[in-house]
Amino acid sequence: MAAVKVCEAEKVYIMHGVRDDLRLDGRGCEDYRHMEIETDVVSNTDGSAKISLGHTDVLVGIKAEIGKPRPMVPDEGYLEFFVDCSANATPEFEGRGGEELGVELSNTLYKVFNNRHSLDLRSLCICPGENCWVLYVDVLLLQCDGNLFDAISIAIKAALFNTRIPKVHISEDEEGGKEIELSDDPFDCMRLNVENVPCIVTLCKIGHRHVVDATLQEKACSVASLLIAVTHTGMVTCVRKMGGGSLDPESIFEMTEAGKRVGKSLHAPLMDLLQKEESLGKKRQKVGFLG
Amino acid sequence: MLKSKTFVKKTRSGGVLKIVREHYLRDDIWCGSEVCKECKDEAPVLQEETCIESNLCPYPHYVIPDTNVVLHQIDILEDPLIRNVIILQTVLQEVRHRSAPVYKRIKDAIHEKEKHFYTFTNEHHRETFIEREQGESANDRNDRAIRVAAKWYTDHLAKATDGGTLKVVLLTNDRANKEKAEQFGLTVYRCEEYIKSLVGNPELVDRLAMTSDDQNEITGSKLLFPEHLPLSRIQTGIKNGVFIQGTFHANRDNYLEGTVFVNREGEDINEILLQGLQNLNRAVNQDVVAVELFPKDRWVAPSSVVLQDDNLNDEDTEEDENDSKLKSVASESSVLKPTGRVVGIIKRNWRPFCGMLAQSQIKEATRHLFTPADRRIPRIRIETRQAATLIGQRIMVAIDGWPKNSRYPNGHFVKNLGTAGDKETETEVLLLEHDVPHQPFSQAVLSFLPKMPWGITEEDLKVRADLRHLCVCSVDPPGCTDIDDALHCRELENGNLEVGVHIADVSHFIRPGNALDQEAANRGTTVYLCGKRIDMVPELLSSNLCSLRSNVERLAFSCIWEMNHKAEIIKTHFTKSVINSKASLTYAEAQMRIDDTTINDDITKSLRGLNKLAKILKAQRIDKGALTLSSPEVRFHIDSETHDPIDLQTKELMETNSMVEEFMLLANISVAQKIYDEFSECALLRKHPAPPPSNYDILIKAAKSRDLEIHTDSAKALADSLNNATIENFAYFNTLLRILATRCMMQAVYFCSGMDSDFHHYGLASPIYTHFTSPIRRYADIIVHRLLAVAINADSTYPDLMDKHKQSALCNNINYRHKMAQYAQRASVAFHTQLFFKNKGIINEEGFILFVRKNAIIILIPKFGLEGTVFFENKDKPSPRLSFDTEGPTLKVEEHTFRIFDRVKVTISLDASNLQHQRIRMALTEPVIPGVSVPIPESEPEAKKPKLDR
Repeated sequence: MAAVKVCEAEKVYIMHGVRDDLRLDGRGCEDYRHMEIETDVVSNTDGSAKISLGHTDVLVGIKAEIGKPRPMVPDEGYLEFFVDCSANATPEFEGRGGEELGVELSNTLYKVFNNRHSLDLRSLCICPGENCWVLYVDVLLLQCDGNLFDAISIAIKAALFNTRIPKVHISEDEEGGKEIELSDDPFDCMRLNVENVPCIVTLCKIGHRHVVDATLQEKACSVASLLIAVTHTGMVTCVRKMGGGSLDPESIFEMTEAGKRVGKSLHAPLMDLLQKEESLGKKRQKVGFLG
Repeated sequence: MLKSKTFVKKTRSGGVLKIVREHYLRDDIWCGSEVCKECKDEAPVLQEETCIESNLCPYPHYVIPDTNVVLHQIDILEDPLIRNVIILQTVLQEVRHRSAPVYKRIKDAIHEKEKHFYTFTNEHHRETFIEREQGESANDRNDRAIRVAAKWYTDHLAKATDGGTLKVVLLTNDRANKEKAEQFGLTVYRCEEYIKSLVGNPELVDRLAMTSDDQNEITGSKLLFPEHLPLSRIQTGIKNGVFIQGTFHANRDNYLEGTVFVNREGEDINEILLQGLQNLNRAVNQDVVAVELFPKDRWVAPSSVVLQDDNLNDEDTEEDENDSKLKSVASESSVLKPTGRVVGIIKRNWRPFCGMLAQSQIKEATRHLFTPADRRIPRIRIETRQAATLIGQRIMVAIDGWPKNSRYPNGHFVKNLGTAGDKETETEVLLLEHDVPHQPFSQAVLSFLPKMPWGITEEDLKVRADLRHLCVCSVDPPGCTDIDDALHCRELENGNLEVGVHIADVSHFIRPGNALDQEAANRGTTVYLCGKRIDMVPELLSSNLCSLRSNVERLAFSCIWEMNHKAEIIKTHFTKSVINSKASLTYAEAQMRIDDTTINDDITKSLRGLNKLAKILKAQRIDKGALTLSSPEVRFHIDSETHDPIDLQTKELMETNSMVEEFMLLANISVAQKIYDEFSECALLRKHPAPPPSNYDILIKAAKSRDLEIHTDSAKALADSLNNATIENFAYFNTLLRILATRCMMQAVYFCSGMDSDFHHYGLASPIYTHFTSPIRRYADIIVHRLLAVAINADSTYPDLMDKHKQSALCNNINYRHKMAQYAQRASVAFHTQLFFKNKGIINEEGFILFVRKNAIIILIPKFGLEGTVFFENKDKPSPRLSFDTEGPTLKVEEHTFRIFDRVKVTISLDASNLQHQRIRMALTEPVIPGVSVPIPESEPEAKKPKLDR
């Protein structure tokens, strides 16, 4: 992962700051950086969102395609994740440099999102055992400035909110032959219920305290971090420890509590924002990538 | 300004695809009116004085038709009277989507300057573009787009004329659309309403297509036909095998019967028989239909009765009688065929049909039945007020629809072609009926012609062999202006002979893919009618630049052989060249030069050399088993003033005919080999399949009746036995046999070498063959020229040339056009024969029996190359005793037995009682059979039996 070199003196300075709940850019330990979200940015996807968190820039596009449901869960659709670490984000990703990170990210995303608690996978079913919608979630990292997971998870939630799946219905003839028919009205489409979709909160242990939304410098001072996926009710759906150092049980507990708190307070304004954006309809001025 | 259009599409594999197209809006799209000062249009299309008078809108106005009006009333829009029409892009796109022929016609109308049709690209205009709204169907959106554009025009013109008088009128037949438009403040009329209001143009009203509203009042409420299934049900049905898709072919002789040809690979049922009106279910010849196959116990045999739908009154009853007649005949036979019924129409293949009006018996009636010239097309009900003037005229009618409660389809009058029997009219009819493209070449096509004066340039000479010094000459029939081949022959220093065949280099002028090329590819062939030629390429090329006339320099594609005196090829060489023909001779002139020993110039020597080699080549070819077949060809002497035929003459064959033919064959074979060697996958070749043995039955039987044997196991055996089959004192017998043999043959066809494995040309006994020698009049030759040019590095290739599927499609078109050209040619000869006999009155002639049928004999008159049927059964007379023996075949009439090839005498006259289908009538005068033969008439024309006619 993109890392910066930080000298001992800088580290001490950052750690002392964190201890006093004052970070380099003036934030408190549980504050996020400035965040900008725009949905419906890529017209040929079924749903898309772009987010910038500090200087971290992530684009998520969702494409719905008709596929076959998994044999174990014939009445559910599923999600597929692919994270593309573009060399735009950092020169380290050039060639196959970003591949390992990409796989790690997509595996984590799969764990967090592809379960019936976060998304009603049954609504993706078209015909049990025969056809279902497969949502291909493509994540493109445009710029890395720390806290990729949180940014990606928020972008995915926004993109899922934005997703419009064309309505289909199954026609059946006398012979029992099934035919998928597409509605010819482009406005006739299905929306996903994103209420339970979790957001990831990454907490970095710095000294004896922990911070959310760590910048690259702060990350360099941390030995271990904890990744918590939290729904809007504060339910934790996934926890993962990352980094080489160890965490004692007490701080894990503390960090989980902090994560729940932060996560819960993240959902409400996010949904607010998305709904407000949608209500603007066609009048909304698109910013896109040049804004 | 950029917008994007988004829509979702289902892919063939069942996936769902979201497609986004960029859409740009602009503000520099002009309104196209002369009045407007605001728009900076340099050449406005729409006139200020709109010169159309209507009772409904007395002010000057432009007309905006909606999509359905264009689709259904294109005949009206094409009328020269209708001018200053604005065609919106929305309308144009919808039309294009729904009907390619109508799209082409409206495009042609737009291109015509006098029509003042203007295309307004409203979809790209900033102020008239609209996006589809939630809950709005695609059609509703388009209707709204039309209204918005009409509104824009209204406002725009009002501003331009300071609230003046110029307005726009929207034409729509959609009631909802009309209401909305009225609310929107537009002047809007129904199409009929508007056309009827036009001052002083009653005939336009006839051309109005009937719309669904009118159908109800015309026909009774009784349902005659089962409902057609919707397309979606048909598609699923075809997918899972319940229904079968195929092309419907109506039976020419029986209107209650038809066949659906199914094109499925690996299935044994390729033809499905349909019987009875209910099962035909409103299918019209050439429609693509969905058929449901009956279980085996309901299969029937095709009936052999001739049933013509000559029910005179427009009643929907009394059909059951015919139906039952059909059934009783059918059940007798044991040969059952797969039978089914039409459940739906996948694609209508309606075109405007030529024919004549059958006047309604009720005076002053406006509804009439129209009888098409093509017997396979049902009669069409049309509405017209000018029936009196249309009687006896050839007219064109288009079908609008066929409601399920109507016995006949509904249509409307399109145009009057002229008086029936008139030469111009009949020629037009036969061209239209045989689908021969015969319009003058469009401006786009002509623009690709070389600029005159044209001359051979230095560059041409650099890349071409200069053969101008050679003594080249051409030999053609008299009056030929499209000379595409020329020959030369000279002795080489080593004692061998050099023979050259020089073909006009048409591919030099027609470059792949341009409008000229596309037009030629579509026409496929030049069509020769009696006294008229319909060119494949514009005259400048066919009769001038490509024609290898004498004493001018011309570009050629040469095939040059080195041969020894035994006509064995030592070397073959192909090159593009420049030649200068020394003489354009007719066959007779060339023959005279060869025969006249006193002439000894270069040309004559060259001709003699060619003639000598040709004889050897022909002998070799015949030795290999090439067939010499015969068909009675006739040529008319046409009066130079009236263009009426004044005399008939069978074509004379001279040595020089076969001399030219021999070298053309040789060139074709050499080229075929060369292009196949070079491009094994995409060479365009010509094959002539061997006929199935059963085809020869009639020939063998006929010969047997004269105690001769014909062997048909191979072409060689056939050729030999034909040569040996002669009868003393009956010189014409051999020709008759050969005529019969010709009838047994299959059709030769073009094909792409990558798509077929059987290349054999049966008639010429050549393992490979193509057409190279007539590029002026055949498109296949142009393609062969291009292939050969690529093979010898004289020209560059292009993708379509190497695409075997594209080439295969091209072959299909050329084959179709050739077949149709042949039919048209025959029809033209038949028509001229009729004209000839019309002028002659009644003629007595000697003829031979060509076929013997159950109730008739078919007689060939060698003098006129004319075939006619003598029937022994008559409706209004008691039939003579007939006994038919299939083995002979012989037919015994009373006491006399008719055998094939018997010599008979007949009188020939023209039966003009049916104007639509005039025909030559033959009556037997010798042998004399009481009650059957007629006395030899003196000068009085035979009293024609009055026959009830439509």
